[in-house]
Amino acid sequence: MSTQAHAADHHDHDHKPGFVKRWLFSTNHKDIGTLYLIFAMVGGTIGGFLSMGIRAELAEPGMQIFSNPHMFNVFSTAHGLIMIFFMIMPSLFGGFGNWFVPLMIGAPDMAFPRLNNVSFWLMPPALTLLIISLFVEGPSGMNGAGVGWTVYPPHSTSGHPGPAVDFAILALHLAGASSILSSINFITTIFNMRTPGMTLHKMPLFVWSMLVTAFLLLLAMPVLAGAITMLLTDRNFGTTFFDPAGGGDPVLFQHLFWFFGHPEVYVIILPGFGIVSQVISTFSKKPVFGYLPMAYAMVAIGAVGFVVWAHHMYTAGLSLDTQAYFLAATMVIAVPTGIKIFSWIATMWGGSVRFPTPMLFAIGFIVLFTLGGVTGVVLANPGIDRAFHDTVYVVAHFHYTMSIGALFTLFSGWYYWFPKMTGYMYNETLGKIHFWMLFIGVNVTFFPQHFSGMAGMARRQADYPDALAGWNMISTIGAWISIAAMAVFFFAMALAFVRKQKAGDNPWGVGATTLEWTVSSPPAFHAFEKLPKVK
Amino acid sequence: MSSPDPHSANSPQQASDARLQQKPARHGLVGLTLAGLVVSMLGLSYAAVPLYKMFCQVTGYAGTTQRAKAAPLKASKELITVRFDANVSRDLDWQFKPAQRSITLKIGEEKLAFYEATNTSDKPITGTATFNVTPAIAGSYFNKIACFCFTEQTLEPGETVQMPVSFFIDPDILTDSDSKDVKEITLSYTFFVVKNQKTTQIKKSNANGSL
Repeated sequence: MSTQAHAADHHDHDHKPGFVKRWLFSTNHKDIGTLYLIFAMVGGTIGGFLSMGIRAELAEPGMQIFSNPHMFNVFSTAHGLIMIFFMIMPSLFGGFGNWFVPLMIGAPDMAFPRLNNVSFWLMPPALTLLIISLFVEGPSGMNGAGVGWTVYPPHSTSGHPGPAVDFAILALHLAGASSILSSINFITTIFNMRTPGMTLHKMPLFVWSMLVTAFLLLLAMPVLAGAITMLLTDRNFGTTFFDPAGGGDPVLFQHLFWFFGHPEVYVIILPGFGIVSQVISTFSKKPVFGYLPMAYAMVAIGAVGFVVWAHHMYTAGLSLDTQAYFLAATMVIAVPTGIKIFSWIATMWGGSVRFPTPMLFAIGFIVLFTLGGVTGVVLANPGIDRAFHDTVYVVAHFHYTMSIGALFTLFSGWYYWFPKMTGYMYNETLGKIHFWMLFIGVNVTFFPQHFSGMAGMARRQADYPDALAGWNMISTIGAWISIAAMAVFFFAMALAFVRKQKAGDNPWGVGATTLEWTVSSPPAFHAFEKLPKVK
Repeated sequence: MSSPDPHSANSPQQASDARLQQKPARHGLVGLTLAGLVVSMLGLSYAAVPLYKMFCQVTGYAGTTQRAKAAPLKASKELITVRFDANVSRDLDWQFKPAQRSITLKIGEEKLAFYEATNTSDKPITGTATFNVTPAIAGSYFNKIACFCFTEQTLEPGETVQMPVSFFIDPDILTDSDSKDVKEITLSYTFFVVKNQKTTQIKKSNANGSL
């Protein structure tokens, strides 16, 4: 068998297509995964640059780097959209999903390989459109769309007569179409292509997380598509879906947007839940504690995620009973999320725990996510939310959960699977320096925003009272620490490719039990020509 | 593969090409079903537009007022004050104000109030008014019998018209534990310019509405 496999391997290597055919017309799930990851690095770099623009402006009271506040809003809008749609989603969902869903369930490739290619190649044009929107007219006489990632009318309609918002909307259309197509692909792959013996209840939790994420995207993305299409026709073709002059209602857009927007935040974090489950189990040398509750907690989070959207709209005039309902439903989400946190800790409990970089990032994630979860329960209360609405307290909350929380799962997965994807080992010391610098950096950035937010520091505003200068200075210092941490990361990665230290098929030892560790590092161009059997 | 694969090592039956074992037709079925789901969600997002409007009208949500044919025969002795508020969109060259600041009336009693609008531009303009009441809970008990807001209004250059609204407060407001303490309701209108209006010739509508 060993020689047979070897022969098959050679056969594959001989038939690896040329550069253009391999990367531009790729139908191979690993190559497409790689493309997604590279794309996410590009997106993340642009999004990170934009966030430094935000921090540079907020470094001191008064206007620093922007000549008018609109540009500040353009930066934060583009930062949000790029980080969500062109960094986190392409890496966690598109990148790791494409790489490891087929490998983990023992499938030779995705169900629709050519559709997979289409999904990826919709993304670069989408990002291009979004970047173009920065350089064309938005409000009269000013460039860019300063509408926030929520694109609320009327600011996005009558407030932005120029084409910048149209470019941003079309960028979201393309990115949304890409997500919908890959969701169809993932669900079909997971339902139909599991290797014999790999029942749904034996699937690794990462695959479960991808399945739930794909369903969330499938149900939520079309609603965003509908809402922004209405916005587009309101802007250009005289419809009045959100225009009271023609009988429309701008609040309807908020309902539609958040019906998409809330599931979207779980789209961002659920793949990370899956990664953290794999990593903690691997480095505790134990199967994950409470496998089935862990899987169904994700299903529950996904389902409840669709019925809590109006907690983003407490200030939009909801009746008392409605607020009470959304308060209760929102708090219910803390239950399955709590199950997950407790199960991760219980997995480590009594395990033979090691702390290489991926494990550090996974534990760092648990700390950050728990912190963000607690402020989420605070914000679920309409009474408190009225005071905190649109302050940086909310910014701190969602960065702790879906931004740096998701980022830490991303790095956890990256360091965990880097040896598998490249065949090379990264430098453990540099990885740990990266972790500690980033952990300190993001906390120094975002923890003070709880305090400044409570003191009245508004989000989406380029200036603030002098009294808030202290907290903002600390935040800005934290941002610079984080940027330095990212420099360490890129250096560590470059070093790994220069040194080419062989990683071996399974560098993590007996704790790594999933199927991707049974194939070579990097895996053959076509892995699982022969289906592996799961007992 | 440099090391033997523990999972596949002892199953020669599995050795045939994995791709031949897949059933593309089943892929197609699942794929199409999921695509159907996507299309129906897209449809639902558009269906939300009329459903949302209906929901507000039926429940009086967000202070959406109700329409009625006539006031109840018997009014309550309880008094309530209705205040009047007027706003004009930036794009509309009109002056628009209530003729009276407030009216105190018996709950259940029908009253007539007037707003006054003047076209300050030099061309005829058609406007339409949106409306609601505050507190929002009063929306389902605030009934309009006739209102200038039911139709579009066209004003000639410089023309001033009195616009009537006739209304009553449903006595059920006293039995609802959430609204029984409401002693003052503000009725608010905002006039917008009607989009895509024909500027050359607009049929002069009856500014007195359906009264």
